[in-house]
Amino acid sequence: MYVTKTKPPGRGVNRRNLLKGTAALVAAPRMAVAQERLRIGLTAVILADQAAFLARWADYLSQRLAARVNFMSRDQYQAVHELLSNGQIEAAWTCGYPYVRFQPQLQLLAVPLYKGQPVYQSYLIRPLGGEVAVRGWADMAGKVFAYSDPLSNSGWLVAQGEFASAGIAQKDLKRSFFAHGHRNVAEAVASRLADAGSIDGYVWETMRLQGMPGALQTEVIWKSRLHAFPPLVAAAGTDPARLEVLRRVLIGMPNDEVGRMLLKSLNLDGFIAGQPSMFDSIRQLARSVPGSGVVA
Amino acid sequence: MLLSRLPYRVQIPLGLSLAVVIAAALVTAVAAEIFARTARSDTLTTVDRAARLLGAQALPLLAADDIWRVFALLRNTAAFLPGAATGQARAAVLDSEGRVFASSAPQLLQTARSLLGQTVSGQLLPPTNAVTQRLRMDRPDGAIALIEPLRSEDGQVLGYTYIEVDAPVFAADWTALTRPALIGVGLAVFLLVPVGWWIGRRMTAPVLSVARVIERIGRLDPAELRRELPRTKDPELGRISAAVDQLISELQVREQAERRALSAERMAAVGRITAAVAHEINNPLGGLLTAMQTLSVHGGSEETRKRTLDLLRRGLNQIQTTVAALLPQARIEDRALEIDDFADVVTLAHPDLAHRNVQLTTQVDVESAMRVPSAVLRQVMLNMLLNGVSAAGEPGTVHAELRADADRLVFSVAHAGRDLTQDGLDTIVAAESGDDPRGFGLWVCREIATQYGGGFDVDSHHGKGTRLVFWMPNRETHEEPAAD
Repeated sequence: MYVTKTKPPGRGVNRRNLLKGTAALVAAPRMAVAQERLRIGLTAVILADQAAFLARWADYLSQRLAARVNFMSRDQYQAVHELLSNGQIEAAWTCGYPYVRFQPQLQLLAVPLYKGQPVYQSYLIRPLGGEVAVRGWADMAGKVFAYSDPLSNSGWLVAQGEFASAGIAQKDLKRSFFAHGHRNVAEAVASRLADAGSIDGYVWETMRLQGMPGALQTEVIWKSRLHAFPPLVAAAGTDPARLEVLRRVLIGMPNDEVGRMLLKSLNLDGFIAGQPSMFDSIRQLARSVPGSGVVA
Repeated sequence: MLLSRLPYRVQIPLGLSLAVVIAAALVTAVAAEIFARTARSDTLTTVDRAARLLGAQALPLLAADDIWRVFALLRNTAAFLPGAATGQARAAVLDSEGRVFASSAPQLLQTARSLLGQTVSGQLLPPTNAVTQRLRMDRPDGAIALIEPLRSEDGQVLGYTYIEVDAPVFAADWTALTRPALIGVGLAVFLLVPVGWWIGRRMTAPVLSVARVIERIGRLDPAELRRELPRTKDPELGRISAAVDQLISELQVREQAERRALSAERMAAVGRITAAVAHEINNPLGGLLTAMQTLSVHGGSEETRKRTLDLLRRGLNQIQTTVAALLPQARIEDRALEIDDFADVVTLAHPDLAHRNVQLTTQVDVESAMRVPSAVLRQVMLNMLLNGVSAAGEPGTVHAELRADADRLVFSVAHAGRDLTQDGLDTIVAAESGDDPRGFGLWVCREIATQYGGGFDVDSHHGKGTRLVFWMPNRETHEEPAAD
């Protein structure tokens, strides 16, 4: 095993443990006996409510990490971060905004590659052929708007920045609400529950790729600048060696058939280790939004 | 009606079959009507349950200001509403100010749209302060709207549930009902109509048997007809059969009575013929016997003897002719009437004239040769003369008159005795009474007149008494009287 419970967690990468873990991973992953448990929290940054896919991915990771991997989905970012801070999960796939907001309590695990790049965009969507003419942020006064989550970059923070730029205050909206997930934002807009919504561009494109009505019945009327893709993070106190093993397994997914199949299901190309500086654009945006929790 | 023109054996089966079809159609119509009525009640019950479920589930979400989850709840709950699948029912949760918090159909009930106190679907909804408890509003077209306040545990109104169900949801789905109804009617027709037809044929069979029996009454042996009468326990048919049986019995009795009457009539006819023959023979016999007595007393005189023997010969010829008329094989050559025949008749009547003290006057006016048969006319003249003598009274007078021209021969007897009208004569003649000797003579006269194309009537212009007139064509070519 590359991680033991008796060993106190360390901050840096332990080369010895890394080598041990790598050796175990490379030697005979299927022969390893899963004794450790690795719990990964999932948020609405991916379409993570497909149980069969998650079971396959967990099995894939379990075999290569010599640990029993479990995914725990929450529809609110805050809930996932509470699990993370409480030690109830070891890692989480969260959003760039909560990463920069809670960066002192987190460490970067990996950043997905979407269309070959570790970036994505936020979309402003409206109902396809909707009667309400919404052409941009400035048209949202007196309209109903759907956010994804108060800790979502693409589903809240970006919108706040654009509303501010357009001179639209929250009180100018007729109503706004959180849909607890990007997918729900698409469905809320498609059903006309909201006149428009702010959504993760990767999620919307993946929904469209999979033929989901929420995407097919909405259309994109605005795309944000590129931001760092929602990263996988771990609690700051997590053993770096253990994280490194997980990081390498993730990064190594494109190297085998099963991994490629899983990545294809995720509509991703792979993972990279990433750097905190990749999230500077989000950090800057958060600093510009009052109440974002990110100060200069 | 066409049905009433059909034969009875078709009417009943066809009527039963039609009854089956009509009954099936009526049952289907009533069932459909009941279904339509209960459908509304069932729909309202379902709406009520959905409202309760929605209220209980939405309250904490409303308190948490979670539009999305309320929307998700509404989507799932509204699916239970009748008509939701076709967009004819929708549900919403309103905030405390009566605005749409979320709805299952955001396109119709837009988020944040104010509903309470506003006109929705053509109906003014009550303001928030008027909705203190569940309120159901029935719209004129049959649609309903249900509003129920959502309260916190301490009674604070947090919002409202609002459910709309459009009128078509309550309307009976006649299209859906038509198919099973048609199948039901079809099955009823397919299965019950043959049964109805068969039962109808069975019902009519005894009646038809009775009809066949009635048709052949009088042509078939009553015993055989009785055997063909249907034996049934049905009281009505039993009465008909019993009535027909009684009819057969009565007809039997009547036939027997008719046979007896016919036999009696024949016997009476034989008796009348016998009496008539006796009368016709007896009429000249008196005169002939007197002539025989004259011959025995005054037979010494050649002239008297010759005249008496001629009288006897003609009298016997008359009797022979009368008897021959009764024999079908007999064909007696009858000579034409002569004046002497009239004299003979007067002579033959003498005994009666003397006996009754009647004075006889005669008149003969013959302008043309007489061609009528002598025996028949002698019979007529003697009958009429003796009848007149009999009716003239004592003492009385009788006037006999014989006239003949080229066309007809007329013989009349008049007297001043008893009056006889034409109706009286017709009665006497029609009665053919064997009790009245006078009747035979007059009946024979009428029969002869009829057979020879003549007449025998009362002279209605005659004064006191009676004048009987007999006439017949004066020709030889008249028909022979019937021998029988």
